[in-house]
Amino acid sequence: MPAAFPSRRVLATSAAVVALLLAVLLSLTVGARAIAPSTVLDALLHGGTSDDAEVVRQLRVPRTVIGLMVGTALALAGTALQGITRNPIADPGILGISQGSSVAVVLAIAFLGVHDLSGYVWFAFAGAALASVAVYAIASGGRGGATPVKLALGGAAINALLLSVTTGVLTTRASALDEFRFWQIGSLDGRDAGIIGQIWPFLLLGAVLVLSVARGLDALALGEDVAKGLGQRVATVRIVGGLGATVLTGAAVAAAGPVAFVGLAVPHIARAVVGSDHRWVLPMAALTGPVMLLVADVAGRIVFPPGEVPAGVMTALIGVPFLVTLVRRKAVPA
Amino acid sequence: MSGTTVVRPAGYGVVRAGRGSFLVHRRSALVAGGLLLLLAAASVAYLCVGERFVGPSEVVRILLGESSPSAFVVAELREPRLVAALAVGAAFGIGGALVQTVARNPLASPDIIGISQGAGVVTVAAMTFGIGSYAALPYLSIAGGVLAAALVYVFAWRGGLHATRFVLIGIGFAIALRSLTTLFMTKGDYLVAQQAQIWMTGSLNGRGWDESAPIRWTLLLMLPAVLWAARAQRTVSLDDDTATALGVRLGRVRLGLVAVGVVLASVATGVAGPVDFVALLAPQIARRMTRTAQIPLLCSALAGAVTVVVADLLARRLLSPVELPVGVLTAAVGAPYLIWLIVRSRTAGGNA
Amino acid sequence: MSSRLTARGLTLAYEDRTVVDELDLAIPDGKVTVIVGPNACGKSTTLRALGRLLRPAGGAVLLDGEELAKLPTKRIARSIGLLPQTPVAPEAITVGDLVSRGRQPHQAWWKQWSEEDERAVTDAMERTDVAALADRSVDALSGGQRQRVWIAMALAQETDLLLLDEPTTYLDISHQVEVLDLVRRLNRLRGRTVVLVLHDLNQAARYADHLVAMKAGRVVAEGPPEEVVTAELVRDVFGLESVVVPDPVTGSPLVVPGAPWHAEVVR
Repeated sequence: MPAAFPSRRVLATSAAVVALLLAVLLSLTVGARAIAPSTVLDALLHGGTSDDAEVVRQLRVPRTVIGLMVGTALALAGTALQGITRNPIADPGILGISQGSSVAVVLAIAFLGVHDLSGYVWFAFAGAALASVAVYAIASGGRGGATPVKLALGGAAINALLLSVTTGVLTTRASALDEFRFWQIGSLDGRDAGIIGQIWPFLLLGAVLVLSVARGLDALALGEDVAKGLGQRVATVRIVGGLGATVLTGAAVAAAGPVAFVGLAVPHIARAVVGSDHRWVLPMAALTGPVMLLVADVAGRIVFPPGEVPAGVMTALIGVPFLVTLVRRKAVPA
Repeated sequence: MSGTTVVRPAGYGVVRAGRGSFLVHRRSALVAGGLLLLLAAASVAYLCVGERFVGPSEVVRILLGESSPSAFVVAELREPRLVAALAVGAAFGIGGALVQTVARNPLASPDIIGISQGAGVVTVAAMTFGIGSYAALPYLSIAGGVLAAALVYVFAWRGGLHATRFVLIGIGFAIALRSLTTLFMTKGDYLVAQQAQIWMTGSLNGRGWDESAPIRWTLLLMLPAVLWAARAQRTVSLDDDTATALGVRLGRVRLGLVAVGVVLASVATGVAGPVDFVALLAPQIARRMTRTAQIPLLCSALAGAVTVVVADLLARRLLSPVELPVGVLTAAVGAPYLIWLIVRSRTAGGNA
Repeated sequence: MSSRLTARGLTLAYEDRTVVDELDLAIPDGKVTVIVGPNACGKSTTLRALGRLLRPAGGAVLLDGEELAKLPTKRIARSIGLLPQTPVAPEAITVGDLVSRGRQPHQAWWKQWSEEDERAVTDAMERTDVAALADRSVDALSGGQRQRVWIAMALAQETDLLLLDEPTTYLDISHQVEVLDLVRRLNRLRGRTVVLVLHDLNQAARYADHLVAMKAGRVVAEGPPEEVVTAELVRDVFGLESVVVPDPVTGSPLVVPGAPWHAEVVR
């Protein structure tokens, strides 16, 4: 029934858009200080100098926008990486890209005296870029080029190596640990509007790169030979997709720290809803990612008042039951 | 073809003993021999090096029971920790190999199916709430690891164990449990955080005979099961249909393999903390050295032991007098070698 | 006519979708049985159930009168050999190693490689003409070679009953004929019972002693090919107009499809 399928997809995608709008609204209204939706709207449209309006404009809006950007970026990056490596557990974390950012940030904290979030951004970026270049260089060595297995294993090896550097620094420099342990979890708290300005061009670039290889990822899913037969340049798809994923991961980690889980789980959720066509999966992931992150962030604000639970922790706690249910229900591809 | 004189399957030799007959992969046997020599050399070096250097010949004489002025340092201080390193490395090597076999994914290791995180969350929670003395902590983390893996298995089981479902649910649990751990660490006191950080990196610092007893006993008791697993592993490397057609009870064999792997990895985690990259690296290193169709268990155990012994040697001496946790260096020792193997790989490599 | 392998009221389903409904089937001993039918008629599903790869939703498959689901799987493996449609070899396995895996049901922990294993594997590899490839990696073989290696593995199992699911897929015409001739020889010389799923009706008619035609999960006709293969059956099962003539070589029925776009040539 080919006619029924697109309409189902359209329906699911519209539902995701609605969910995203709701999540944004929640993120603007809920918090230590609950603000009515009408007040939020008023503050956004007409400005005003009341306390509520200030909170909305100075704190909630930047936080929500960053949540949107980070969620989208990680979800797109995870989808692209799972497609490129043809490994269902590949994500920016397991392939060492996030770890590249972590190492750079740890080194910056411990040896260069960088102590603020906006200072971390460029280090996080450079780290992600270096790590993925290293992974690709390792995987493309030897015979057969960058095959999925070699990409995955190379990523795991780099991840291991970088993690040992990170922990090595942290265990010898106690002061760095104290600062780093908060950054490491991933959080949307305390990010200002300046960060948005720093990362949005990268987000745009990464998204364009990943979306441009959607067809290529579909072909790759059928195996390398079939992909070549369909006229795809396999190496180009891998490099462009990987580059896009790196830029997106770098931007996301720079803004919020290495938020785990979104990059892994959202692609699976998206595939379960709209099938395996990347031209649908990628937009669906881009919508679902921020929903998950924003909802987690909102939940984190209210579970243990007055303190906050970082979004990085809440995403996993909220998302795992989802993932488990979906994976159990669906016949997952081998 | 010469027919009956050709020994098959290719690459294997047959050892006959009475009515029994055993297949030995020749290249694996060579690799195992090489790794054994390397392990012996690394172990002697481990016993020689320290605050005070003891000559290799003296170390060997002390091991043979002769008296020497250095006997205390070598036999009482360094040897127990060496044994702990050997046992932990071998256990992680075997555990990782079995989990990777069942998950059919070279990225799978005990930290992918929640063992390390289960152990971690229980341990850190115990530290945070001040429950559990240091003597009880290893047992708590063993329980945490086994429990987490059991939960993953139960949730992933649906009329059979699908490899992809298994790793996906495993990784989901792993991330959720790790999040809980970080929650404890950020909410908790700074000292607990640092202590927990060291535990979570994995350390052999201060592991003597008493501390390594659980893993030594487990290895000994599990030996028959491991021998069974080495053989059973061969059969699950085929696809499900073919394996069933050949009379393999897939459900039970997989459960058995996972159970052996989980117990070994959990106990090793309890003793040394999650040194889990050994479990990921050692099987892949071993397999790429032997070029077998399945992960070779013995070589995997040896590769794991070599990695941990060398890493702990470096951890003790690199920034001396400060001792690094061994977990910092296992990846630094194993990962470059794996990278080198990947780069110079001669097989094209199939799908994972 | 005796049958060691039979199906009684067999109902097969994937999830909630019933594929085969209340099927009764007896596989004649010492004969080559071929199951044919259009795509998605349940023929492969039936074969999977006969080889206990699929648990029946209703009814039972009986081996020597005992329910397959209640027999130890290793014991079944000593009687029934089965080659699935798309078997997957472990990465980097050699041909010799893969074929020797067929001996699995005859081995034990303390008996990993007997003289008997040696003989069976050598024999299977020579029969399928893959002995020269023994040290090659399966990854590096052509499709035809790979298929012959898999058949060698199933042969090495040395079972009285052999179930093959579309064994000629991926093969060129000469290798197709070779595989089917091999099947016939095994049956003639060693008295093996063979069940094949084929989608080529002419090959089925040529090589079968007993032909089973299936459509939509039911058996439409069964018996010797000469009786079963008629123009009516082809129309009923495949929805195709055709003329059935005697095969000029073997005399078995040969289906010549009609050419609707060029009808005057046929009629």
